[in-house]
Amino acid sequence: MIPVLAYIPFLDPINAVHDWWYLLLVPLSFSVSVIYLALRMPSLDHYWRRVLLMTVQIVGAIAALAIVLVVLVQVVIPRLPVD
Amino acid sequence: MPDLGDCEELPTHANRAAWDGDKLRIEVLLNPQTMSISTKSDWQFTPSTAILAWVWPGLGHISLGQRRRGLLVMFGVLFLFLGGVLIGGIDVVDRKEDRLWFWAQALCGPIALAVDFTNQTFLKTWPPDGAERSDERESRAIVQLGRKGLGRVNEMGTLFCALAGLMNLVVILDALHHPSRRVADRRQRGSTEP
Repeated sequence: MIPVLAYIPFLDPINAVHDWWYLLLVPLSFSVSVIYLALRMPSLDHYWRRVLLMTVQIVGAIAALAIVLVVLVQVVIPRLPVD
Repeated sequence: MPDLGDCEELPTHANRAAWDGDKLRIEVLLNPQTMSISTKSDWQFTPSTAILAWVWPGLGHISLGQRRRGLLVMFGVLFLFLGGVLIGGIDVVDRKEDRLWFWAQALCGPIALAVDFTNQTFLKTWPPDGAERSDERESRAIVQLGRKGLGRVNEMGTLFCALAGLMNLVVILDALHHPSRRVADRRQRGSTEP
């Protein structure tokens, strides 16, 4: 008999993350921005606007890197001569 | 003209000393906003705040009087750490199976040690060895297996918690060696002035 597992937050993993794990980049970069700017900014004026900007910059930079890598692996490398 | 180099490290502006012919030329660059000279004594070294920052993220800055900064740091580090545990389950903090990751996660403080203790004590040793029926042990083992994060889930949860620890290391270092309140007030005035 296989028991039915009830999901318990913080104890069981969220297995649905397997399908959209890359979207976790957004909360990851948001948290890094919150901590970094809290330490870095001399004054906390316009703090959340700067956090939003830095989050967008991190996500944009990593998305651009992903695009470059996809082009490199899918387009450039297959066209290289074998010898 | 031989340069004698920086004669003092300053947080924002440097003063320099150099030979100009037979004269010693000393340049002192003033902060244009505050018109003041910073010195090394404006920086403080406080291990006690670093310990507080490790005990609970953000507590070091709160003890320095920077309440809002400390609360923001606390929110950021706890958001990352608890987010990691939420995604990957309690299994993402494991000092026995993921030792290197655990060193980074332990920088979050006792909260990481508590999660690992819970994982080692109540999850990994369950079901306990005892005189139970084999079918009961088998079904409990299946339950335990369901609590183990695998693949991307485990990777992302572990990464979130480790990153929380590494960011808290930055916070600890900032609380350990920080500008004095006088400099902080002066900087804040300078940055808010038009």
